[in-house]
Amino acid sequence: MHLPLSRSNLLFYPHPYHTKMSLSRRNFLKVSGLTGTMLALGYYWKADAKDAEIIKATDAEDFGVELNAWVHINTSGKVTIFSHRAEMGQGVYQAIPQIVAEELEVNLNEVNVVFAKGDNKKYGSQITGGSSTVRTAYKNLLNLGATAREMLIQAAANKWNAPKTDCYAEGGHVYHRPSKKKLHYGELVVEAAKLEMPKNVVLKKRSEYKLIGKPLPRLDTWMKTNGTAVFGMDKEIPNMLYAAVERNPRLRGKVKSFDDSATRRIPGVKDVVKVKMGVFSTYREGVAVVADSTWAAMQGKKALKVVWDDSGFEHLSTDVIYKRMSEALKTKEGLSFKKQGDPNIILKYAQKKLDVVYETPYQYHACMEPLNCIAHYQGDKLEIWGPIQAPDWVQDFISKEMNIPREKVIVNMTFLGGGFGRKAFMDYPHEAAEISKAINAPVQVVWSREDDATQGPYRPGMMYRCEGVVKNGEIDAFKVRLAGQNNDHWRSGKKGEPNRSASEGFLKPYYETIKNLSISDVPFETPIPTMWWRSVYASTNGFAYESFIDELAIEAGKDPMEFRRMYLKDERVQKLIDKMEEVSGWKSRKQNEGYGMAITECFESTVGQVVKVSRNADGKVKIDHLWAVMDCGWYVNPDTIQAQVEGSIVMGIGAATIHQVTFKDGKAVDNNFSTYQMPRINDIPPIDVYVMDNEEQAGGVGEPGLPPLAPALTNAIYDLTGKRIRKLPFNLAEV
Amino acid sequence: MKPHNTTKPSRYFPTKTVFALSAMLFITAAVASAFRNKEEGPVGKIIINKDSIESVKAFASVYKVLMSPRCMNCHPAGDVPLQGEDSHLHTMMPKRGKDGTGVSAMKCANCHQETNTPGLHTPPGNPKWHLPPADMKMVFQGKTPHELAKQLIDPNQNGHKNMEQLIEHASDTLVLAGWNPGEGRKLPPLSHKEFKKAWITWLTKGAYAPAPKPQ
Amino acid sequence: MANITLNINNKEYQLDADPQMPLLWAIRDMAGLKGTKYGCGVAQCGACVVHMDGEAVRSCVTRLSRAEGKKVVTIEGLSETNNHPVQQAWQQVDVPQCGYCHSGQIMSAAVLLRENPNPSDQDIDDAMAGNICRCGTYLRIRKAIHLAAEMQQKTAKG
Repeated sequence: MHLPLSRSNLLFYPHPYHTKMSLSRRNFLKVSGLTGTMLALGYYWKADAKDAEIIKATDAEDFGVELNAWVHINTSGKVTIFSHRAEMGQGVYQAIPQIVAEELEVNLNEVNVVFAKGDNKKYGSQITGGSSTVRTAYKNLLNLGATAREMLIQAAANKWNAPKTDCYAEGGHVYHRPSKKKLHYGELVVEAAKLEMPKNVVLKKRSEYKLIGKPLPRLDTWMKTNGTAVFGMDKEIPNMLYAAVERNPRLRGKVKSFDDSATRRIPGVKDVVKVKMGVFSTYREGVAVVADSTWAAMQGKKALKVVWDDSGFEHLSTDVIYKRMSEALKTKEGLSFKKQGDPNIILKYAQKKLDVVYETPYQYHACMEPLNCIAHYQGDKLEIWGPIQAPDWVQDFISKEMNIPREKVIVNMTFLGGGFGRKAFMDYPHEAAEISKAINAPVQVVWSREDDATQGPYRPGMMYRCEGVVKNGEIDAFKVRLAGQNNDHWRSGKKGEPNRSASEGFLKPYYETIKNLSISDVPFETPIPTMWWRSVYASTNGFAYESFIDELAIEAGKDPMEFRRMYLKDERVQKLIDKMEEVSGWKSRKQNEGYGMAITECFESTVGQVVKVSRNADGKVKIDHLWAVMDCGWYVNPDTIQAQVEGSIVMGIGAATIHQVTFKDGKAVDNNFSTYQMPRINDIPPIDVYVMDNEEQAGGVGEPGLPPLAPALTNAIYDLTGKRIRKLPFNLAEV
Repeated sequence: MKPHNTTKPSRYFPTKTVFALSAMLFITAAVASAFRNKEEGPVGKIIINKDSIESVKAFASVYKVLMSPRCMNCHPAGDVPLQGEDSHLHTMMPKRGKDGTGVSAMKCANCHQETNTPGLHTPPGNPKWHLPPADMKMVFQGKTPHELAKQLIDPNQNGHKNMEQLIEHASDTLVLAGWNPGEGRKLPPLSHKEFKKAWITWLTKGAYAPAPKPQ
Repeated sequence: MANITLNINNKEYQLDADPQMPLLWAIRDMAGLKGTKYGCGVAQCGACVVHMDGEAVRSCVTRLSRAEGKKVVTIEGLSETNNHPVQQAWQQVDVPQCGYCHSGQIMSAAVLLRENPNPSDQDIDDAMAGNICRCGTYLRIRKAIHLAAEMQQKTAKG
């Protein structure tokens, strides 16, 4: 059990990326929910039959009778499926209904999808991160759908006084096979809800699926093409005011004093208040300008004069940070994460060894929707609306911070205009809640792009010192030391332990074949808040590990693809390599073409990528084509997977070749897209995505496509030019 | 190619280098005759008073201004405008288009307003904001003083401007925009007044072009 | 503050507002049309693109003083039933992921197709490089614009 750092005993945040959510652990736990007592049996089920009643979220929304926490059906047969996770582009708004509807036997296009409120007693963990929704919840979701279906069939059988075996469900109806009679679910739901829940339902075989595995269109597309999808920024509640906050640009600093006289003269400005927000184990301070419009609040903020208290912490610059990491890696062995054999002895006596350093930058999430949140403090109760990745964490955090009972903190998710890890934190909802409390009115806090870009938390910058020895064409020693901030130190992690994500991205089968191996973490800290960024440490580790394997392959005189085959003896990975070779034309490459490849593991999925590069007429290196092969085991929607891998690659191209966060005197330098530039449509080469077909355990989809991009690209550049790139980002035009 | 380290007139007219001076007169004579038949006296309202030394000296100042980012960034060698003090390609790669105002969803005026947008790294503004058109690109980037001087007075390359129109052009609103560049941007190396004076001096002293290859 | 009349989606809005205020905030906070998004505020990302007299302007830097007297069309006004060829193509290709940038993407693409009914990949890049998509849907944007061009041509042929 980890404890928070300074605000001890506050909260423990389970690591969403490592803790595999298993609702079945909660077996036989009594929990209370919307309609009273529910009994959890591997999933959440409304066990008290007497509580069958119409559930209304608002007067306008009639969700009907709750069959379980995810499935409501109203008496006219309309099925509502709740998404307990956030939709930030990755497609859970599609995936959850697609799974539930499969077993529930309803048509997907007739289903109403609604975001659940934050309530992890009802839904289990709701933190949408670690590419975890499908991989951790799919079995429960299948069971939920199937159980509800069986209840409806039983209710029909009871009504017809027929054996249940004569009845079956299809398209939202239950049919009586002999008589061809049918009833729609709405006619059965009230009775069904009173029935005992069947214990062991039979799930369909994959070959029987009508929805799962099909590239069905997304349910949210139509509202994202006509402007009707409601993002946090678009939500309005009655009498809502708007706030813009000037926060200390030094991330850890405080407010010493401020002069708001010019601000208060701006038409529309209503109030100016000092505000704080919790960033895990510390607080950030700022001055909030509350106004009757977003623009007035922003203007008021510009007119503020704030004096900051920047004492008590170092004001670091990027060059100092990397110099310190570099020094640490020269002298320190670090905390051992994994060790087998004795690479040190081999390295000590080797006549020839590789000893190289890889470097990756701090990165900013840059969601297209800047942070924002609505809070309405009402004394004993607080309600939140916003683009939130972890509604249950927000609920817990605000409850503790503001001393409001957890069930009185109501957290509503909107659509998220991107998340990538940033919107999993509680700082911006907490800040909104504090402002609402201070002014005693509902308020929407809108972060400007500049606020969003300069406040972090960021992906930590990392350095990797990699040493290796090749003997007789094989790896004789493999030693990696990493230095960089440990995200856990911002959350809950104990110091004195190696970063538990030190091998994230690295394929486990290497452990079987590399006899002398060590991985260690040289602890490194700065006052800069860091946190998850899409694919987390795999996004940086992957670059170091898969570049270094490539260097060792070259040293061994082996083809990099064949070298991976030698070392990755796992059958699934071998098949993945077959596919990579087949689709990319790896073996039939032409002269003047550079090919590079990399394979990484991330959130229980393995992705291999091949990049082809060549030179333009003006001699500049360009990316010609990309092939990606994803093995994520059991999957829901191949089109979503393709989209996620395409998007991950685009984000990977940005992080490898376009942008980075730099610090000067303790402040983030770049504050908008004019200088923190983003990949644009003209930066993107053709990408082909392939999904392996198997029925292995489901793996993640939203993130695993990102880590292989950088090493596959730099390996390809080495193949073309003989130049090894070990520092990201690099400018393609300058290779 | 970076057009820094531009001309220093003293280098073109060392009193001892007779060859350089005579070569210059030959070239400028050709240029001037292309411009006007008359070599001395009034051209319209403008009095031409030929003085190759003064003219070339003035052009050195003109050149410094025209090759500064405030002027050159909208006179690129390619079809994408330049940005910033280092004259990098404009982010998002807007294209010149036929008439110089951009293409389809990427027209200059979609972002560039009538006046500067407040803040750092925001679009500077002018009601006429555009690049030279595709059939008259008026490229500054990469041009030597000699090339640029010749180009500026060649009606087929300068937008069909005669002497009078060239002189007027010094006070064009888009030229003036160079001296109102928006927050955070450096001004051209001369004030507009100094520039205008140099420009007119260069033209009225015969519009001589510096030698093609100094040294 | 001044009295300003805006024409948005063929509807007149009388506002008492600062003429220096960007059109974006009038559209969102005053007209209540939330489909047009704030992304950067400095004309870098294109999330705020609307049509003003047919041009794909960035409403985050377009002041009310410039918009007055012009016809403004937002994503809500692009078509009656979400059926502009670009919208239809976007749906068919399933372009959006998070979707936040796509109002702007669609408004830009609509101007491209009006001026260039049969754009090449290069034409698409030239027109769309002003619109950032952090989810990285660029390949699908390209594909959908080609599809929209086809649809538009079929409709034109009748």
